[in-house]
Amino acid sequence: MKRILSISIFFLIVTAAAYSIGDERRITLPNVQTDLAPGAGKEKVSTLCNICHSVDYITMQPLGTRAQWAATVSKMIKVFGAPINESDEKIIISYLFEHYGAGK
Amino acid sequence: MENYKLSRRTLLKGAAAMAAMSAVQGFPADIFAGERMARFPEKTDLLLLTARPPQLETPVSYFKEMITPNEALFVRWHISQIPTSVDLNTWRLKIGGNTERELSLSMDDLGKFEKVVYTAVIQCSGNSRSFFAPRVFGGQWKNGAMGNVTWAGARLKDVLDRAGIKAGSVDIAFNGLDYPPLASVPDLVKSLPVDKALASDVIIAYEMNGKPLPMLNGFPARLVVPGWYATYWVKSLSDITVLSKPFDGFWVKTAYRIPDTPCGCIEPGSAPAKTIPINRMTTRSLIVTPESGATVKAGAPVNITGIAFSGGYSISEVIVSTDGGRNWGQAALGKDMGKYSWIQWSYPWRPEKPGKYVLMAKATNSIGESQPSGGLWNPAGYLWNKVEKNEVVVEREGA
Repeated sequence: MKRILSISIFFLIVTAAAYSIGDERRITLPNVQTDLAPGAGKEKVSTLCNICHSVDYITMQPLGTRAQWAATVSKMIKVFGAPINESDEKIIISYLFEHYGAGK
Repeated sequence: MENYKLSRRTLLKGAAAMAAMSAVQGFPADIFAGERMARFPEKTDLLLLTARPPQLETPVSYFKEMITPNEALFVRWHISQIPTSVDLNTWRLKIGGNTERELSLSMDDLGKFEKVVYTAVIQCSGNSRSFFAPRVFGGQWKNGAMGNVTWAGARLKDVLDRAGIKAGSVDIAFNGLDYPPLASVPDLVKSLPVDKALASDVIIAYEMNGKPLPMLNGFPARLVVPGWYATYWVKSLSDITVLSKPFDGFWVKTAYRIPDTPCGCIEPGSAPAKTIPINRMTTRSLIVTPESGATVKAGAPVNITGIAFSGGYSISEVIVSTDGGRNWGQAALGKDMGKYSWIQWSYPWRPEKPGKYVLMAKATNSIGESQPSGGLWNPAGYLWNKVEKNEVVVEREGA
């Protein structure tokens, strides 16, 4: 039922199912996991960003500047209401820039 | 019990693709970094951009065909609580707001309106965003956030006429069954100006290529606004609201906007002075075969093939270059399936000498709109239609 594979990212799919009975149609979405780079702040990012979206939203982005990542996190808080306090915001921006930023 | 389907599969074509492509000089390798494939319900193996909400991209090899199969069409949702079950016994499409009467239509009711059928390209506003330079954040699509589908459904105008739009109506808002994960996240609601909504070709589609829509493509019915980007093609429609004031929801007022300039573009890296909602698709073409990085034999015939389309005007010409844009020739155009469909084209080529060749294609539509040689830029990564370049290697005969 499970396979775990890796490229630069690990992910797994448990099941992806669809059926229809009469007039009802139902699907079961696969459980796809994406691993984030290890480092300080990873737990905050995994927990808080995952409230609204899978973290492949992070890993697919081009390597951003600190300003780009800061603007993105700010948008999540101010526009979408992500429950991230000021100190966590700083930790998250630093983590994203360090591991998915252009400064490397 | 029909249509029972259970599949589970994870593919790692990405690793193989990376190995294969790394041999090609000048290829943007970062685009392949982390490429993943996944099979979601009712879909085939597609490029996985994101899992929740799902964003799945069609591999370009499907564009060898005139019609994109339902299971291969790209998937793009905005907010994570997407519909995973719909019971047609209870599903209703509600029409109300500034109307003479409120409607609550079942699928059977929708089926009683005149059935309109046509083929139209569906394309995400951010298709090809990963090619922008400088790069921009957002869904990192290559060229596969599009497809050509035969849609069937009820004319939106006929449904609105049944409800009776009152005088003074300005915009019409469309909501679907998806909803936000937090109350603070704006629900995905889109709007069209009344005039556009009443255009005879806008439909509430309940069939894709003669079959019900896959759940991930908007079962049981979605809006189809042919010629316009897919952001307006609201999936799993539930509510249509006629408004006497301009719609001011986030996804129109703030998101999905382009610079208010003739090209929808600005100086790379700058900020637009004024923006407008994205609307009609730009003209573009794509070389489908040979793929970038392919190897062909000197002295042997090669058929360069591809597709071209524009936002609601037929393609009048596709020109092809095999020498990086110095010389151009006319491609032969395939069957015309209407102004909203893409058209297939082909260009016979017989490379004489071994070496690297840059293939290019450029389409022009019936009102003279064409494609820029250099990439246009805007901060959200929309409207991509740069003249594509496929680099191929010609090997010595018998090599």
